Amino acid sequence: MTAETLAGAEADPRRRLRVLASQEALLAIAVIGLAIVVGLYNPRFLAARNLSDVLLGNAYIAVAAVGMSMVIISGNIDISVGALIGVLATISGTLAVNGAPIVVAWLAALVAGVVVMALQGVIIAYLRIPAIVVTLGMLSVLKGGLISVTGGKWITDLPDSFHLADIELFGALPFPVFLMILVTILAALWMRYSASGRAIYAVGGSAEAARLCGISHPRTIVMVFALHGLFAGAAALLYATQLRVIQSTVPPNLELTIITASVVGGVSILGGVGTVVGSTLAAVLIAEIASALVFIDVSPYWIRAVQGVLILVTVIADILRRRRMAGA
Amino acid sequence: MKLGFSAAFLGATLLAGTASAADKRWDGADDLPVNPLACSAGEANAAPAAKPYDGGRPTNAADKAGKPITLVDVPKLIGIGYFNATSKGMQDAAKALGNVTVKTDGPTEAKIDEQIKFIDNYITSGVDGILFAANDPVAIAPVLKKALSKGIHVVGYDANSTPDAREWFVNQAEFNGIAKAMIDSMAKEAGEDKSFAIVTSTFTTPNQARWIAEMWAYAQKCHPKLKWLETVEAQEDNNLSFNQATTLINKHGDKLAGLFGMTSVATPASAEAVTKAKLCGKVAVVGLATPNAMKPYVNADCVKSVVLWNPVDLGYAATYVMRAVVDGTLKPGATSVEAGKLGKLNVVNGSEILLGSPFIFTKQNIKDFDF
Repeated sequence: MTAETLAGAEADPRRRLRVLASQEALLAIAVIGLAIVVGLYNPRFLAARNLSDVLLGNAYIAVAAVGMSMVIISGNIDISVGALIGVLATISGTLAVNGAPIVVAWLAALVAGVVVMALQGVIIAYLRIPAIVVTLGMLSVLKGGLISVTGGKWITDLPDSFHLADIELFGALPFPVFLMILVTILAALWMRYSASGRAIYAVGGSAEAARLCGISHPRTIVMVFALHGLFAGAAALLYATQLRVIQSTVPPNLELTIITASVVGGVSILGGVGTVVGSTLAAVLIAEIASALVFIDVSPYWIRAVQGVLILVTVIADILRRRRMAGA
Repeated sequence: MKLGFSAAFLGATLLAGTASAADKRWDGADDLPVNPLACSAGEANAAPAAKPYDGGRPTNAADKAGKPITLVDVPKLIGIGYFNATSKGMQDAAKALGNVTVKTDGPTEAKIDEQIKFIDNYITSGVDGILFAANDPVAIAPVLKKALSKGIHVVGYDANSTPDAREWFVNQAEFNGIAKAMIDSMAKEAGEDKSFAIVTSTFTTPNQARWIAEMWAYAQKCHPKLKWLETVEAQEDNNLSFNQATTLINKHGDKLAGLFGMTSVATPASAEAVTKAKLCGKVAVVGLATPNAMKPYVNADCVKSVVLWNPVDLGYAATYVMRAVVDGTLKPGATSVEAGKLGKLNVVNGSEILLGSPFIFTKQNIKDFDF
């Protein structure tokens, strides 16, 4: 029993796998190709320092997109994640400046992330309320709550030991980049080879078929959201520890950037299809484009337009692929 | 290859576009008229066109010239460092004057409806004067007009109301004053003939666009060799500001000698980018920011000048202005007012008092501020 067969009217699973692989291969080619093209125009772009900075400054988006990909593959969506990351960063920073042990400040973000997301998962799965409605509500609660509680006051004077993002492994590999790679690989293996990981594809591909196979739909959804909360917590830590101040506000459009990474990464907005390798590559590509625009002297405002085009192209390709399969 | 060629072509065209017009304003500047200040303090500034008094007047205010008065200060909100500092300035002024009692009271959140309630209560309980920093310039107007109609003097500071709802407004900084402080600091720290880039919120944000236009005008006039490389947008987003500043550092390499942060978000993020790139002392960061966010960088000698105004002086000046209004020494049509240790402050824009040159936070004084 594989997710591919559950996912729909696909006769030859190998063909589907090839199509999926091509999405990731395409992204990898785009990431490398863009680097070469911009490097030809301005060789400074290829400096190790710049490439590392591009990854370092955006690793938190890739980490959050891993969780988001699971949510979308399970046939749901979450638009509260940007606000949640802002709240978790504030919780963690507030604990750290008030003298809590640093490990407690870090763990609090992870635990609170899991709790909030699992709660949303319960509401979505057991009360059968569409995810977009539940997470829209949570977005407002988190956003309004954060501003009311903090009054928009910044957190400053953070202890040096709080800055997780400053750690370099083996003297060269920044911790956020390491975490991004580690999380992506572990999640990809788990989703591919474990029964609970495959269950995510099953419920997203066909809830009815999954039920007939004995997979608990609600339990899988709650698990997915809880995991998504864990990744959101990790992303919030990278986000909060990168700079010396925490703004205590919700980062603008962050959820859209995260969803974009998942969708451009080949995760089908209709559920059941996609990988986290794709979403991480897409997050890297989007970050690379933003940096490249500055290097080739184009206004970074174009990043929104470019992201939009990437989304449209990927979604249209996905829909056309599904139509062709349904018709075949 | 074809794509690389067209990208290069596009970039080259854009570069040529900016290089061909030396007098073209920097990206992110608006098109409004500019009024650069004189290069050195000794020279006289071009006088802006005089504007008639456009403030309001109280009805039948009691004559308390020289007599003790009781004031209430209603800031946007209480309990934050910034308004604690303005409040301290008011107490300093009250002590220096000897015949003023001032009390600060206001909402704990920056909410206009609550601020209106506070002011209304003080109108009922009776005070001689109200000092305010408005949460909303239009919504606060009716309650201030009510105060004027009851013979209570009204003076604003920090955040204005519509002019006819108060008598005077103490303006903390004009655009050309901030611009001069920014450009002078950059020329001093980076070098007179060096190159710099700007990190702003968006090209169309009104205040930032005004500042950049005035900075451009002042640099043309007083530091013509200072070279602008480019302006990047970073909204009011901490991480985006950091990424953009980092990209600028990586793109321009040794050529980049300075970064301007145009927002209180962009400045600390730019300082962080310079710190992470281990370029403190090589790339100067000058910008608008609040002291608390900048303390780590100023104390680490990575940032030398943070441009803003001194909120203690702002509260001090507002109290002196109120005293002068009650005493009848500051009347519509006046061109200046005496403000104790701050000296003579000029009237601008009809009914505003200009606090003076912006304040520059440095390693020596930044520890004295908490906001």
